[in-house]
Amino acid sequence: MNQPKRRRRTEIPWWLLATVLLGLLISWSIVADQGYREIFLALSGGILTTLWVTLVAFGLALALGLVVVMARRSRLRLLRELATFYVEIVRGIPVLVVLFYVAFVGAPWLVDAVNFVIGPLIGRGWVPSLSIRTLDFTGRAILALMICYSSFIAEIFRAGLEAVPVGQAEAAKSLGLPRWITFRKVVAPQALRTILPPLGNDFVSMVKDSALVSALGVQDITQLGKVYSSGTFKFFETYNVVAFLYLVMTVSLSLIVRYVEHRLSRSGAR
Amino acid sequence: MKAMLSLIAAALVAVALPSMAADLPDLKGRTIVAVTENAYTPLNFADPKTGQGIGWEYDAMNEIGKRLDAKIDWKQSSWDVMIQAVHDGQYDVGMDGITINDERKAQVDFSDPYMTSQEYMLVRADNTEIKDPASFKADPKLLIGAQAGTTNFYTAVDILGGDDKNPRIKLFDTFGASVQALKTGDVDLVLMDGASANGYMGANPGAFKIVGQPIGSDQFGFILKKGSDLLAPINAAIASMKADGTLDALNKKWFFDYMSKL
Repeated sequence: MNQPKRRRRTEIPWWLLATVLLGLLISWSIVADQGYREIFLALSGGILTTLWVTLVAFGLALALGLVVVMARRSRLRLLRELATFYVEIVRGIPVLVVLFYVAFVGAPWLVDAVNFVIGPLIGRGWVPSLSIRTLDFTGRAILALMICYSSFIAEIFRAGLEAVPVGQAEAAKSLGLPRWITFRKVVAPQALRTILPPLGNDFVSMVKDSALVSALGVQDITQLGKVYSSGTFKFFETYNVVAFLYLVMTVSLSLIVRYVEHRLSRSGAR
Repeated sequence: MKAMLSLIAAALVAVALPSMAADLPDLKGRTIVAVTENAYTPLNFADPKTGQGIGWEYDAMNEIGKRLDAKIDWKQSSWDVMIQAVHDGQYDVGMDGITINDERKAQVDFSDPYMTSQEYMLVRADNTEIKDPASFKADPKLLIGAQAGTTNFYTAVDILGGDDKNPRIKLFDTFGASVQALKTGDVDLVLMDGASANGYMGANPGAFKIVGQPIGSDQFGFILKKGSDLLAPINAAIASMKADGTLDALNKKWFFDYMSKL
């Protein structure tokens, strides 16, 4: 049993070496080449925006996904139906389309709704009424990514929870454990092992999908690449740097995901 | 000589300013939220050195603000969503070399035109077939690259006889992508303003050339929310800038002086 495991660990990950080598090569040309250095500096302003959009949207999507999956596993039929409806509808629309909907239909509704709710406060002059300009395109892009990814994440959660054999919860119940403790100590840890790998994949693809926010003009890496290339007419050089920046983020993220996965599967084997 | 000309232009502006300012509406320090994309050199683009938005339209709008005593608050959006966002009132005024046409007039108000487009025909350097719009139209195998809903797209439609579904028009997202397609041979012709054409020829030595005469028909205007109270003041400012030569000075500054430095 131990034999194949050890061999796998000593195997040299050539793909990783090749990736690192490629990264070093491009890094070197950025350091050595005046033109590439300028492109890199011009685009570096977008790195924070990309990270911010990705992290906030993914965090919110996790929270919303959790709510959706709880509704989907609820004992109330209405909640279950609503959650399934939400997941099926959202999952079936391309992210870019949702982005436009949220930006120009959803956001005005949201602003109107908030104004309606805080209407009494506005009436007394305690708070100013919200204008559509309060919610900028970055905020709307985050909302759209949150909505799209929450449906995928809810499905990942559901798959993870359903992968835990029913017998586990039944055994806990027969031992007299309360529902909440059963979930926390018995079901959730086992589900987590199934959930984490696809969740990591979703996080990596969120980094890439965050590029879609450039369609609204949010100044992320992709939009700055578009702007820089149209100002300097260096189309390919610019997108080389854009690709490099995304790769640095996605490859290091998937390495982290691999590491966590590895740790979990080891603790699972024990 | 060049320095002389810009000096004269600057002097003209300086002389014209006080006399004009009296006739123009006074916005009393009001803030105008202006939006552009920074992806249309030299009308609006990011200075490659600093990342700051600069260009013809920045200068023009800032000058309008100065003449009307308004503060210009610059924002960026993508071209795809600009008309919708101005229509919704998210920004007061938008600009991106926007061709004035009737479909758009249904969505937003246009200012008086501030520029007439000059579209140049950019082809691969080894192309001998295309000499003018007619020779392009004559050969059904020849394709043209354009960006949907832009001036070069409408001009392409005109050249090919008015059908906006014509399969000979290949659509791309940016000028850069159209030009790349021209380089690789996916299309045979791309229309663009002289400044951009010169820029791409400089960045890709020996790859492209300009043929024929510039095609000029479309006019650019600022877009504003329908019924905006800024329309009249902005039109008045444009008229004063036309009259005192400011617009001509801007054309010279961005289309000749800046582009020849690239």
